[in-house]
Amino acid sequence: MPAARTSSRPAQRRRRHADEPLVAFRGVWRYWGRGSKRWAVLRDIHLDIPRGETICIEGRNGAGKTTLLRIATGILAANRGTVTIGGIAVGDRWRDYHREIGFLSAGDRGLYARVTVRGHLDYWTALAFVPRTERRALVNDAIVHFGLQDLADRRSERLSQGQRQRLRLALAVVHRPRVVLLDEPRNSLDGEGLEMLRSAIHGVLAGGGSVIWCSPVGEDQPVTFDRIMRLESGRLHPV
Amino acid sequence: MTVLGLYAQAIAATIKRDAAVYASYRLRFVSQIFGTLFTLTVFFYVSKLVRTNAVGAHSDYYAYVVVGIVTLTVLQSALTLSALVRGELMAGNFERMVISPLGPVVGSISLVIFPVISAVLFAGFTFIIAAVLFGVPILTSGIVPALFVALLSASTFAAIGLLFISALIAFKSALGATWVIAALSIVGGVYFQVKLLPGWLRWTADIQPLTPSVDLLRHLLVGTASAEPVWLDLVKLGGFAVVLTPVAGAILWQAIKLSRLRGTLMEY
Repeated sequence: MPAARTSSRPAQRRRRHADEPLVAFRGVWRYWGRGSKRWAVLRDIHLDIPRGETICIEGRNGAGKTTLLRIATGILAANRGTVTIGGIAVGDRWRDYHREIGFLSAGDRGLYARVTVRGHLDYWTALAFVPRTERRALVNDAIVHFGLQDLADRRSERLSQGQRQRLRLALAVVHRPRVVLLDEPRNSLDGEGLEMLRSAIHGVLAGGGSVIWCSPVGEDQPVTFDRIMRLESGRLHPV
Repeated sequence: MTVLGLYAQAIAATIKRDAAVYASYRLRFVSQIFGTLFTLTVFFYVSKLVRTNAVGAHSDYYAYVVVGIVTLTVLQSALTLSALVRGELMAGNFERMVISPLGPVVGSISLVIFPVISAVLFAGFTFIIAAVLFGVPILTSGIVPALFVALLSASTFAAIGLLFISALIAFKSALGATWVIAALSIVGGVYFQVKLLPGWLRWTADIQPLTPSVDLLRHLLVGTASAEPVWLDLVKLGGFAVVLTPVAGAILWQAIKLSRLRGTLMEY
């Protein structure tokens, strides 16, 4: 898989942030529920992820892994604290922040039943603000990388679960984001699919990007991580 | 490429996607044509029973009501857009808009474009059927200005549609759309002139964009005398568009902020 897309941001800003971690969680709190039934699923999360690092966050069901990733994507707001990517906070510059991320949600949703594999990739690269002149090459690369050549013109409703997951993974990385957030990415992947996933992660890291991988405790991991953290009682602990 | 160009490409891609999904249901267009034919036929015979000079000679009522119904259809397509967003939420696709640089507000606006534009095009197609099969006398000189009015009306209706999308995102419900459509069909002059409304209700004709829209389109397409001066209708319609569009965008952004905080943005 090709390396992360070279940012077109001014060189001055890149130099200014050169020493900063690529992803930084600073004092992130998130509550669920209301009133007396309110509880903190994330408690004062601090986490720095430098460029070129892959980190696994594991936890039991309901520990808050998905909540953490959703805060990083901007889908969910933190009650306190901030998440920054390359020094940009999600609420400050939505467009710049979201050009940097790729996200795979847990489960198998997020595909348009009547749209083809190529249609999905083409659509997503446009949404991700990839210029038209670069889109075709990126889409073709992703199709080849995830072994979707024979399925390129097939609608997603006619794909198997594993094929759907490959397409969903392709959508997470096709636009060459610098930060890739993966929520239980192994879902339905066979050995070949896992190898494609591994290779895609290497591509992101080679381009100076970072990967956050969330999975349940005890799951066999097909990737070697730089760090493994456990989310327990709302706090992150090194494993 | 400029940032504006990237937004335009992303919006165009959403329109292309919606068009591809629409085209994949091959019988949908045929079904729409049959539905339109039935409606036009029913009103063709009903209009023969109408004996009033309020809109010209009694035979003019058919042209009068056809313009009203077609405009109402465009309004309906805009006000039921929340159902599309609900579908996106249930399928988990709205997430893709939210996590993209396009963002949820512009993303929602881009979702509105294809249904509204296709409703305007289908409205034009309906007029062709009405003219060819039922003899509605369309003024060819009025077609181009009518197209402008139709697009202005559609953008105003789309802004109202965004308000319903905001309600859906914030409260997970946009049930009022059906009532609003029904109410507007009464007070917007779709089937009868607003001057027939009782005095205590007549003010409602002035505070929504359907009335000037229908009035202008009737005047331009079938030559019905407009209830208000044309310039006043245009000012009203333009005013609604200028005011409602940014207000709807701001309310949508607030709805998204609220549901991000509540953690319900992706729920339905």
